[in-house]
Amino acid sequence: METNDRLEILLVEDNTSDAELCLRALKKQNLANKLFWVKDGAEALDYIFATGTYAERNIEHTPSVILLDLKLPKVSGLEVLKRLKSDERTQLIPIVMLTSSTEEADRLESYKLGANSFISKPVQFEEFAKVVADMGMYWLMINKPPS
Amino acid sequence: MALACAFFFVDAYIPLGVAGGVPYVAVILISLWSANRRSVVYIAIFCSILTITGYYISPEGGELWKVLANRFLALFAIWVTAILGLLIKRAELRIRRLNEDLRKHAAELEAANRELESFSYSVSHDLRTPLRAIDGFSRILLDEHSEKFDDEAKRLFDIVRTNTRKMDQLISDVLAFSRMGRKEMSTSKIDMGELANEVLGELKNEADKRNVEVDIKELPPTTGDRAMLHLVIANLLSNAIKFTVGINNARVEIGAEAEGSDNVYYVKDNGTGFDMAYSHKLFDVFQRLHGEEFEGTGIGLAIVQRIILKHGGRVWAEAKTGEGAIFYFTLPA
Repeated sequence: METNDRLEILLVEDNTSDAELCLRALKKQNLANKLFWVKDGAEALDYIFATGTYAERNIEHTPSVILLDLKLPKVSGLEVLKRLKSDERTQLIPIVMLTSSTEEADRLESYKLGANSFISKPVQFEEFAKVVADMGMYWLMINKPPS
Repeated sequence: MALACAFFFVDAYIPLGVAGGVPYVAVILISLWSANRRSVVYIAIFCSILTITGYYISPEGGELWKVLANRFLALFAIWVTAILGLLIKRAELRIRRLNEDLRKHAAELEAANRELESFSYSVSHDLRTPLRAIDGFSRILLDEHSEKFDDEAKRLFDIVRTNTRKMDQLISDVLAFSRMGRKEMSTSKIDMGELANEVLGELKNEADKRNVEVDIKELPPTTGDRAMLHLVIANLLSNAIKFTVGINNARVEIGAEAEGSDNVYYVKDNGTGFDMAYSHKLFDVFQRLHGEEFEGTGIGLAIVQRIILKHGGRVWAEAKTGEGAIFYFTLPA
């Protein structure tokens, strides 16, 4: 399933259009090939904890950053966040909430649960592309991950 | 109750005297006990007085008139008990029904409120996502396949994108408006002069660009939520600046007068004004009295009204087409 190459970005996004726009924005920074995309919270947990369909995966290979949508099918973004931040094996992975929500309550709850960043997706494509590209650059190039 | 009445008629033929009144009163009292304890105590005292009076008039047997008086008093005591009991029961039922109605209404309101909240939440999330796709993919089409489109096609794409921008703004405005409704107020003493100057500082660029002179008179302090009142002044001031565009000697004045226990603040401009015939629509959500020559979605004044109403004040406007407008709002002195 996975090569030795370290996975850099795990994108958890249920909306295909948003995922494609995200991918395109990262492509411009040559970061798209380092991205793995899962479509709901349950799949995200399976992937990270190497369970279910991802049982073959090496659990040691953690992504450098997880881009997590809030509203997801099956297991919500906040639940995924809670699970990852309360598990010793995954609590150090930086998690960026990438959502359409601009609600203060969502933001506070995310930070309370240990999110490392909260980004509201802009509707305008130029802005969106810039935000995603900047964020990709920051978390992969500028930020020093814990491991 | 029926049992008590039956007792009485049986008793009428068995000369038990005063003691005979006791069983029915007891039955009625017990049946009432669960309904309303305090009233039962009052009734018990009242009945006891009647029965004891009857006992002294006729201590078992004696002359006929005394027996009759005894009977009459016992009868009277029972009927009073019965009628009072019925009235109390009915009142109690009514109160219980009203309480239930009230509880039901409160629960309904709460549910409606929750529904509205989750509605505005999905609006923020769900409506934005397709909008982002429309904007993003039309942009990508233009970027990656531009050779296939002529100028007219590009113009049409521009219209699509301008409208996604507008829709995005509308969604943001709806959310801002609904958020304002849910927000808790944190009140403090507010220097309105300072607040107005602060707002003006933020809008200075706009005012200078449009060559508008803004004059802030002396403003009395008030109590309220600072962030919300900041928004009120910002909305009214930016409106005033917006609607004085293209006017020579454009002037905006912010001032106040005391009126009883309230302060009446006003923001006055000599801009394009509006027809008072439509003044009732001014503060409605997404109501606009001007066309596309003035940008905006029509949420500003709706937010202003919501905030002022939350503060227990009033807001209204006076204007004349082409001669400017004055917006008034009251706040506690």
